[in-house]
Amino acid sequence: MTIELFNQEFEGIVGQLKSYILRITASITDAEDIVHDTYLKAIDKLHTFRGDSSLKTWLFTIASNLAKDNLRAQKRWTENVTDITKEAALNNRQFFQEAMNIRMTSPHGQYEAKEHIAFCFTCISKSLPLEQQLCVFLKEVYEFKVSEITTILETTEAMVKYYLHTGRSKMINIFEGRCALIKKEGVCHQCSELNGIFNPKQNTQEELMKTDLVKEAEKGNKEHLFDLRMQILKEIDPFKSKASALQLHHLEHNRQVMEKYLEKTVD
Amino acid sequence: MTTATMAQNGKATTVKTTFHRETSVSIEIKADPAIVWALLTNASDYPRWNSTVTSIEGKIALGEKIKLKSILDTKRTFKLKVKEFEAEKKLVWGDGQGNRIYTITKNGSGTVTFSMIEKIGGLMFPMYAKMIPSFDQSFEKFASDLKKESETIMSSK
Repeated sequence: MTIELFNQEFEGIVGQLKSYILRITASITDAEDIVHDTYLKAIDKLHTFRGDSSLKTWLFTIASNLAKDNLRAQKRWTENVTDITKEAALNNRQFFQEAMNIRMTSPHGQYEAKEHIAFCFTCISKSLPLEQQLCVFLKEVYEFKVSEITTILETTEAMVKYYLHTGRSKMINIFEGRCALIKKEGVCHQCSELNGIFNPKQNTQEELMKTDLVKEAEKGNKEHLFDLRMQILKEIDPFKSKASALQLHHLEHNRQVMEKYLEKTVD
Repeated sequence: MTTATMAQNGKATTVKTTFHRETSVSIEIKADPAIVWALLTNASDYPRWNSTVTSIEGKIALGEKIKLKSILDTKRTFKLKVKEFEAEKKLVWGDGQGNRIYTITKNGSGTVTFSMIEKIGGLMFPMYAKMIPSFDQSFEKFASDLKKESETIMSSK
């Protein structure tokens, strides 16, 4: 493959690559650095690329290996990340001032519940063991086959299936216990509360009902609701969406809060 | 009783002597041994798939101590030590009263035989033997839960 052709194809994949690494590290800087390093490494090793796998699989393999060595990717958060970060945000006036400023001035500062749903999944998925988180994203969001994931993560098909099944089941259980969107007894209403703050003139319930995940919630099929949640993630590029500036600001906040929280709990 | 002599039908058997009691179960599982092993050694995940274990705290690795809560006695926490840990083959944990031995044997036809044996006893055993409930039902449930979960994972796409 020539460098020109590689560059051309890389352009078509880089958006997915960057969002994948962002969702694993929760860090804009690290996502940009890892994607940059992936490009450099790929160029360096381009002569070894024989086309045994697709270029997308090959690039995700390089990026995943870099991510596995990344400290922020390795850090595991807790299932109640949204409770911890909400409390921190409520005590941080600057956070809301900055967020409101983004909301008012940025073309990517809109608040949409479905963008927050995707953001929320990213945060909570960091409570899974890293291998499970990687498998869930690779399969459910970036639509790799199990056989391709074995290549990307350099593991066996049996283990990929194990990580996928366990990761998926854990995420379903967490949302079943927490998310008020899909279960009335859920303890977390954050996407609705934030809609009230950022879109005060909107009827939050009406807005939420535009989302298939919420529409289907009463039917209660947990697997199906998880698939609908994954559909939301597939449709959103966290760097380019209408709400990207607002959600990235929020993600940076949550990462900083969780890093401090984890430091304290280790001490 | 050895794995080879146990019926692989998921039915538990108990052999009692004056000073010991040994319960065993064996079942054929159509799954890769790596999956069975991963399920057996991921402590925090047990309650999700295993209806006989309510919680396991700690790391299941050689020499580590774990705290296990079971449906057999919900008020009691069993403090156990991992005594043997041979990946995809054998896991043993136990305390002063006895050991629980898990073995995974490849059959060569895409299946494995999973066996579980627990031998409890000692010189004082006759004094408290009657207070210890039968393990048969929970052994059968453990084995069938493991089979179900392993085969579900193995057949997933």
